[in-house]
Amino acid sequence: MEGFVAQKLHDFENGKISRRRLIETLTLAATTVYAGGAGAAESPGLTAALVNHISYTCADYKKAADWYSKVFGLDQVGATDHDVALPFGKKGEQPYNVAAKDVPLTHLIIRTRDLNAPPAAGGAPRPKSSALIDHVAYTIADFDRDKASADLKAMGVENVRNGGPYSLHMTDAFGYDVQISGLANNALTDG
Amino acid sequence: MERFIAGLVKDFESGKVDRREFCQTVALAAVVYGAGDAANAAPERGLKVIGINHISYTCPDYAKARDFYTSVLGMVSTPGKDNGKRANLMFGPEPGKGGSFIVARTAGTEAKPPSKAVVDHIAYTIANWDEARVRGALKAKGLEVTGRDGSLHVRDPFNYDVQISSAAQENAFRR
Repeated sequence: MEGFVAQKLHDFENGKISRRRLIETLTLAATTVYAGGAGAAESPGLTAALVNHISYTCADYKKAADWYSKVFGLDQVGATDHDVALPFGKKGEQPYNVAAKDVPLTHLIIRTRDLNAPPAAGGAPRPKSSALIDHVAYTIADFDRDKASADLKAMGVENVRNGGPYSLHMTDAFGYDVQISGLANNALTDG
Repeated sequence: MERFIAGLVKDFESGKVDRREFCQTVALAAVVYGAGDAANAAPERGLKVIGINHISYTCPDYAKARDFYTSVLGMVSTPGKDNGKRANLMFGPEPGKGGSFIVARTAGTEAKPPSKAVVDHIAYTIANWDEARVRGALKAKGLEVTGRDGSLHVRDPFNYDVQISSAAQENAFRR
């Protein structure tokens, strides 16, 4: 960023760009470089901008959805007789710190279905995976571990326990491991 | 922000700030602006989720998973966090500002209590969706692509189902 600013300042000093252009360019850069995140750069390969959804399958999707709604205050939308979506926000909201307009809110899709059944459209059943998502960690706004722990216990959440200095673990309605943390727990600090 | 930068340019022109200070201040302002949304993230009720922090992915060989997700989905293996058994694969906003990561790890001997639920796939949004470009990029990696336009599926090296989505086709409010 500093190099970019220095270059634009140099251009201004040499009369290559106007004062107005300098201000506009730096304003645009300052408000998009770090806020842009998703979709900011076009590269030849693909770039995951954000998790679109997490597909969670269990024996009773309503029970699981109610648990996630209760604990995380998530609304339930688009319910069918076998699944429901729980977006991380309200309709029209942008994902946190994502400027690109074509990146929707992350959501959970909680389902009840037979994962071993052949696809409805025909074809072979899903191949077995030798990988496992053994837990999902959610970022919580203004995370305070002690307060969150007390809140969770008051809600009757089971197996609430510390997960290092920045996070808590718990188990959901189906015994699935759920972690929560604040922004302080990230790729640079975890592990 | 524009007013702030205009004032800074004025200070630079009048000699109140030097060149170095000018550049550093604009860069710092950009960082502060990027982090500023945290103030808007106050929870309305209970615990407010603002995003996925990380996905813990356990498999027989984390390096194969690391190479797949960095190559196919443009994730970045966090420098200094690859210890030969696990790696943090970053994507989305910057770390600490809402970014997510996959913790790819090689399965150990520790046993977790069994769960009656399963996360059977993860879907990732690709911005600026172009069907031909996305399909072409996946096929160029030698992957078999299934699914429908705007909602594609591939299998990672461990047969885990990976969905690749456009905003138009995969949106909680348009189901």
